[in-house]
Amino acid sequence: MALVFTIIFLNSTRRYLVGQSVPWGEELPIYLTIYGVMLALALGYLNDQHIRFSIFVDLLSERVRQRLYAAVDVLTIVSGLTLAYAGHVFALRRGGLDSSGLKSTADRLANATGITALEWVGKLGTWQYAIAIGGALLAVAALFKLIERIKTMGAN
Amino acid sequence: MVYAILILGLVAGVPIAIAIIATLLSFMAMGEAPYALRIVAAEMFKGLNSFPLLAIPLFVLAGEVMNESGITGRIIAFANVLVGRLRAGLALVNIWASVIFAGLSGSAVADTSAIGRVFIPEMEKHGYDRSFAAALTAASSVIGPIIPPSIPVIIYALIVSGVSVPALFMGGVVPGLLLAVFLSVYVMLTVKIKPGYEASDLVTKPARQAVFEGILPLLMPVFVVGSILAGVVTPTEAASFAVAYALVLGVLVYRNIKLSSLPRIFRDAMLDSAVILIIIAAVAAANWLLTYNRVPNMLTDWVLTNVDSRTTFLIAVILLFLFVGLFLEGIAAMLVLVPILHPIAVGMGVDPVHFGILVIFNLMIGLITPPLGLCLFVAEGVAGVGMARLTRSILPFFFVEVLVLIILTFVPETVTWLPRTLGY
Amino acid sequence: QTIRVAHVDPDDWQGSKKGAAAQIFKNIVEGESDMTVEVFPAGALGNEDELVAQAQEGLTQVVLVSGAMSKVCPAASVLDIPYMFSSATVAWDVLDGEFGDALADHCLDQTGLRTLAYGETGFRNFTNNTREIRSPADMEGLKFRVQPIPLYVEMVEGLGGEPTPIAWTELPNALSTGVVDGQENPVGVIYNNGLHKLQKYMTLDGHVYAADFIVVSDEFFQSLEPAQQEIVAKAARVAGTMGRAIQQWNTAEGVKKVQDEGMQVYSPTAEELQAFADNAQPAVVEYLRGELGDDAEWIDRLNDAVAQSTN
Ligand code: NA
Ligand code: NA
Repeated sequence: MALVFTIIFLNSTRRYLVGQSVPWGEELPIYLTIYGVMLALALGYLNDQHIRFSIFVDLLSERVRQRLYAAVDVLTIVSGLTLAYAGHVFALRRGGLDSSGLKSTADRLANATGITALEWVGKLGTWQYAIAIGGALLAVAALFKLIERIKTMGAN
Repeated sequence: MVYAILILGLVAGVPIAIAIIATLLSFMAMGEAPYALRIVAAEMFKGLNSFPLLAIPLFVLAGEVMNESGITGRIIAFANVLVGRLRAGLALVNIWASVIFAGLSGSAVADTSAIGRVFIPEMEKHGYDRSFAAALTAASSVIGPIIPPSIPVIIYALIVSGVSVPALFMGGVVPGLLLAVFLSVYVMLTVKIKPGYEASDLVTKPARQAVFEGILPLLMPVFVVGSILAGVVTPTEAASFAVAYALVLGVLVYRNIKLSSLPRIFRDAMLDSAVILIIIAAVAAANWLLTYNRVPNMLTDWVLTNVDSRTTFLIAVILLFLFVGLFLEGIAAMLVLVPILHPIAVGMGVDPVHFGILVIFNLMIGLITPPLGLCLFVAEGVAGVGMARLTRSILPFFFVEVLVLIILTFVPETVTWLPRTLGY
Repeated sequence: QTIRVAHVDPDDWQGSKKGAAAQIFKNIVEGESDMTVEVFPAGALGNEDELVAQAQEGLTQVVLVSGAMSKVCPAASVLDIPYMFSSATVAWDVLDGEFGDALADHCLDQTGLRTLAYGETGFRNFTNNTREIRSPADMEGLKFRVQPIPLYVEMVEGLGGEPTPIAWTELPNALSTGVVDGQENPVGVIYNNGLHKLQKYMTLDGHVYAADFIVVSDEFFQSLEPAQQEIVAKAARVAGTMGRAIQQWNTAEGVKKVQDEGMQVYSPTAEELQAFADNAQPAVVEYLRGELGDDAEWIDRLNDAVAQSTN
């Protein structure tokens, strides 16, 4: 988030002061945000930080509610894994294409540092993979939640 | 079948974004072409792959920095100078602090939590019913996204081509103020305060000092909204300037924010905006499926054959959005319904800005209606009076807001006058 | 049966070649058979690459695409060789004749997509802000926005300009801030997107003829009754013709309108066009031979077909 803000702020300031902006000034913050959102999806699940209906669930007894939430965890694990697969297929299909704004900078970086891996910064697939990684992390987060719940259910 | 899964999931307390994604994935997996799962991922990526959309996390960040920088207290002091001496002064300060807050933040939820934390205990101390205080806080924070800057407006302009952010921003000013006036009148007429508590003594600072200290934060909306209106910057860039301004105020001027707390602020802002953005991504994918199944076309055809007059159409839209607002988060509802209803409205001769503000106002009322009302949740989180009691307290405010909505619907000039006068 | 037809152009039939093609396809098929046609215009189901993928998966049965076809059937990229067709009528002759049929069969083998007919997106032309271009020498030192496709980079380099790959969405900004001096597109695209307001000069050099491919998922096509297949094939041929006609109309209108709105339009002579071709073709052909491998024979087949048509 700090990075996203800094890039956008500096790039727009630069646009007004120098009348020129860098080509990756729009794409990079978008892609970083997409990664941020997908990571936050998993983190939010761990912290119960999502918009959900609670009014019906609140009516249930604690025991039933815990079982229900355990079922939700299982559903989320399955969804997360499926989303990871979907994201994988998606990124593989078109991921080799170049990101127009990032390509030249990425290639220059790779040349300058001699690290050819940096060329991947300029590939769309690197960023499209956010969806797959987010799905996988969501599954992991839900798995943690499930284990935690089973432990507390056992303790009661 | 698919919709049954979705509803069951929602009722069972699955987070909305995850419920939508799970439904889509199961639909695709069960369908004729399981490899089409890829489309869910592709459409989610496409839904987020937009520069104007970045205005949302940035405005959330600006709001968060503002909260941390101790600006809330200064806003309250400023509002106190304006209306604190009147009858039910503290309640009025609550409302008008929201109006000022509205100019700083695009989000009603941020407003509820910031103002609620100060006002709910304070109003109780001064003889108000705690549940009334929480209801008033939630109800008045609805003003936040109606007065610019506004996240729903930015999203609306993204969905509908041909409606500009500046025009919608200006269109929201009068309705937002109107809502504040109606809430104030209602409060002044009805509120019962325990004897001996009438005067507001919330802030003891001298008026001149309060006004002076309120000026720096108040310059921000003037500067941010002004530069967007002047067409000098895009909303995304303006949002980044708002963050910079808030940071300068908080870190250098007021010195309430330590550099070491910045990572936490950035992280919280990312988490908070991700909640909105992931819904946008999920709905983008859902819209592909709806389009593929021609649901929008069928809805459009149905409306066009069954609704003949503009008035009937507007009333139907209001009822639809009030109903949808009960169950759906406002932005998700907007993303699904606006692409369908906007062209119909324009075709029937409704002014696009008028329609946009009606939709946004309508959905913002959904923020205070159970079972899913975000501001209601947040207010309840601060007040802890129980959802049932809070719901009873909020009911009259709900009617006041619907009354304002009806006025806005049938007197379009309340919305269109300001943008027209300014030439948008 | 329901046939889903998708493309990325607007829906209206007067201004949009694919919109017109899709609508007449729908009308003919629905009128002459009991099949239903649902049209998804304006990229409602995704961009061209996505539509091609959906057609291969049978998710969307008929798609109208232009550039995306050569990504799944590389041989089709020979149509993009600059200055290959001296006029649209030559292109129609070649595509509607033996060559077009052979290419369609080849792409069917490669992709599982049956090309029912060819429409057109039109000839692409150079515009710029610096000077009138009459010969390749006039392009020296000018920066041109090109699509991020290597063939276009080779072509502009061959002509002496400086190719700058920029995404379509960023083009207006790049033109108005002077990041690039010029660009290249069909006239209809230039006019409909207001690019003529950002550019002073246009040269009608027609460097690349862009064809539209009206393709059907072969699996779906084979599942139809012979009578239905015949109707679908015929409707697609009419749709292709309709698309070409609307495209021609819009180009002729567009040239007039951009001139009315202050753009200077230059139409090169046959000798000048030959000079453009001599500069641009060798680099592109050499590049394509390297890229296509065994498919490079399609370059020669196309040259032969064009020669026969012109004779
Ligand atoms: Na606001
Ligand atoms: Na609600």
